[in-house]
Amino acid sequence: MSLRGLAEELKTGVLSPREAVQATLDRIERLDGKLNAYISVRAEEALAEAESPPRGPLYGVPVAVKDVIDVAGARTTAASRILADNVAVRDATVVARLRAAGAIVVGKLNTHEFAFGAMTTSPHFGPAHNPWALDRICGGSSGGSGAATAAGLAAGTLGTDTAGSIRIPASFCGVTGLRPSSGLVPNDGVVPVSWTFDAVGPIARSAEDCALLLDAIADTRSVVEGGVEGLRVGVVEALLDLADPRVADTVRAGVSTLVELGATAGPVEVPLLAEAGTIKQLVMLPEASNAHLEWLRTRLADYGADVRARLLAGLFLPATAYVTGQRARRVYCESVSRLFERFDVLVAPAMPVVAPRIGEQEVELGGERVAFRLSVIPFNSPWSLAGLPVLSIPCGFVAGLPVGLALVGGRHADETVLRVGHAFQRATDWHDRRPPEPV
Amino acid sequence: MASESNLQHSLEFLRELAARQGVAPDDADLEAVLGFLNVILPALAEIERTLPPETPV
Repeated sequence: MSLRGLAEELKTGVLSPREAVQATLDRIERLDGKLNAYISVRAEEALAEAESPPRGPLYGVPVAVKDVIDVAGARTTAASRILADNVAVRDATVVARLRAAGAIVVGKLNTHEFAFGAMTTSPHFGPAHNPWALDRICGGSSGGSGAATAAGLAAGTLGTDTAGSIRIPASFCGVTGLRPSSGLVPNDGVVPVSWTFDAVGPIARSAEDCALLLDAIADTRSVVEGGVEGLRVGVVEALLDLADPRVADTVRAGVSTLVELGATAGPVEVPLLAEAGTIKQLVMLPEASNAHLEWLRTRLADYGADVRARLLAGLFLPATAYVTGQRARRVYCESVSRLFERFDVLVAPAMPVVAPRIGEQEVELGGERVAFRLSVIPFNSPWSLAGLPVLSIPCGFVAGLPVGLALVGGRHADETVLRVGHAFQRATDWHDRRPPEPV
Repeated sequence: MASESNLQHSLEFLRELAARQGVAPDDADLEAVLGFLNVILPALAEIERTLPPETPV
């Protein structure tokens, strides 16, 4: 059932909050041993909180949050050894807002260590398994959020996105994820990766469900109805050309659906697209190293090898690299903002490939083996570099695995991408497809 | 032989820089960092070259 449908049943008393929470806990108990979507489950606390939640728009709805987001009294581990015993004193603002809207937080979700990677294969807490194929990754870093949403282990979840960490698992797990505009959602009480780019956002089954969660955490009032008649869609052909041809064809079919619904589509050339990944790293890496500096000094051996290498890299960039990155970001943002004078949204593949197998470090693109971590950068960094809202929606399958279509909006046009996603999902049923229950 | 010597010099240089920041990575970490720097520093140089000089932060 959709989050909206569940919220309606709770509101009208068809179901009680306690029944909804208990059903979710039962499902977690039954299935999460195979998925490893959760790092911790708040069973007793959630049942107690379900006795009398506030009568808000999310009254009694069971939700879960990525384990970099503080929930008072629960551990925030960031899937790391360093924070394995770290108990949060107070709720992050986004959690306080979910609770004020009536939601019940049932647990904390698996992530790439410190939300600093695209796989969710923590050496300390184990990999999250993709519900569509248990031997494959969920993507990351909000992989537990993607898996839990796809498998129905929460009605909706929160993830975080610095360089694709909501969009990647949404794409790989066949669910809908919104990276909101930078600055729209408060980040306090969230373990940082990079202050300039971090964004908390929803992962749920549909754009409509994401809008309900966004409205709770951002204090917005999104209107998703309205359709796409006359919408101007810019198709990022350069990214379609880079993607696996089967993924590109699936995304092109999604564009055709938008055109059938009344949108117009044409090619768009994004300035500095090839440079965007580097510009982003010049800013992100020093910020991440700075956020971790004390632990790099005192707990270096406690990081997984991949995260340790990325954090160390930021230590060795010259100070001028950060300044150059910020200056180049300004030029880039100004260039990209001008695209939205001609287009309402841009469309591209959310990811160039479907989910790789757990342990695979390379994927095949253009007849070559490419490091997976490098393959994701051109598809994600350009949008977060400019602080733009991006909605990843399911648009089909390749070899039985989900493909995500990215809808990119102008700065603060979060409602626009949600509206387009909703129109697409009213005309298609990709977001209603469910993975088989793991056995 | 020369490249092995260069690698050792580079690792030693990075080790010293890390030590000045109170961090003590091992050789495997430093080799990974070196590989990354060998990619990003030329890309940084290219961005510096093309960035309009009047661009503020």
